[in-house]
Amino acid sequence: MRIKIFGVLALALLAGCATPPPPAPGSAASKVVAMGDMKNIEVGAMRVARENGFLTVNVQLNNTSSRNKQMYYRFAWLGNDGFPVADAEGWKSLTLYGSQTSFLPAIAPVPKATDFRLEVKTP
Amino acid sequence: MLSIRLCSIAAVALLATGCANNSPSLGSKNINYGDTKAVETVTNEFGSTDLQMIAESMTRSLAQSGILQGRPVVQVYDVKNKTSEYIDTREITTSIKTQLMKTGTARFASDNTQMQSQVDQLKLQNQSGLYKQSTVNKTGNMIAAKYRLEGSISSIVKRSSDYKDVFYKFSLQLIDVESGLAEWMDEKEIRKTTER
Repeated sequence: MRIKIFGVLALALLAGCATPPPPAPGSAASKVVAMGDMKNIEVGAMRVARENGFLTVNVQLNNTSSRNKQMYYRFAWLGNDGFPVADAEGWKSLTLYGSQTSFLPAIAPVPKATDFRLEVKTP
Repeated sequence: MLSIRLCSIAAVALLATGCANNSPSLGSKNINYGDTKAVETVTNEFGSTDLQMIAESMTRSLAQSGILQGRPVVQVYDVKNKTSEYIDTREITTSIKTQLMKTGTARFASDNTQMQSQVDQLKLQNQSGLYKQSTVNKTGNMIAAKYRLEGSISSIVKRSSDYKDVFYKFSLQLIDVESGLAEWMDEKEIRKTTER
């Protein structure tokens, strides 16, 4: 009986330690690379379109805190093979007011870009 | 006695190899190569991040606007600096030109700074008699620009005992040379505040 209880406890512990499943390929979450804890900033819905041959992206950002939050971000533009098709972008700084939902627009630098990653970091 | 001597030689050899510099760098530890793409906030004067943001924003807006159909020839003019600080505006136009060139949406005619070199080279080839005639580039075949690209940067600076606020506004417009019409225009605003 004791062995069974230990077994159940061990399984529960193992399940608790298991890493969350990776985001589904092509999902909004799979496009975001958070460099560390995002401290009250959530990356929400994304709108991706191709306008005049260039990939355009609009990303929703939510500040879940009532205080102003600062974050850094940049996009990496990828080709069909998943490799970058342009030089690395400069990091940019963005302030989100307390409880604000904001939208981050971006345009790919070259028509070859078919996919992207959004790198985000809080100070 | 011999074993003690051997041991001490081995120890010295180990120490010497352990201290050898096998790092591929040389010089002072106070000097480092930094990330050229990092957000630079050393002072609130015009900086590398401002230059990168302006060039990136303007280039992408223009390339994606759809006005540059059929890779038209564009002549880039110097950006007018209307701020109170020294800004190398040629670097802004060079970055915009480089990035537009990489998009493949436009071709560029010799701008005002390159024109003299271009004319000198054509004169040298056609008038000096130094070159084999079959390799000489003929005069009268330069491609004229369909559009000219010109811009300006201005700033509003405010100071109080606690704050210094700098607001930059960069404007760029694409003008059809034949009609004189502005076919595309965009702005980039940047605010930098220092709390003392």
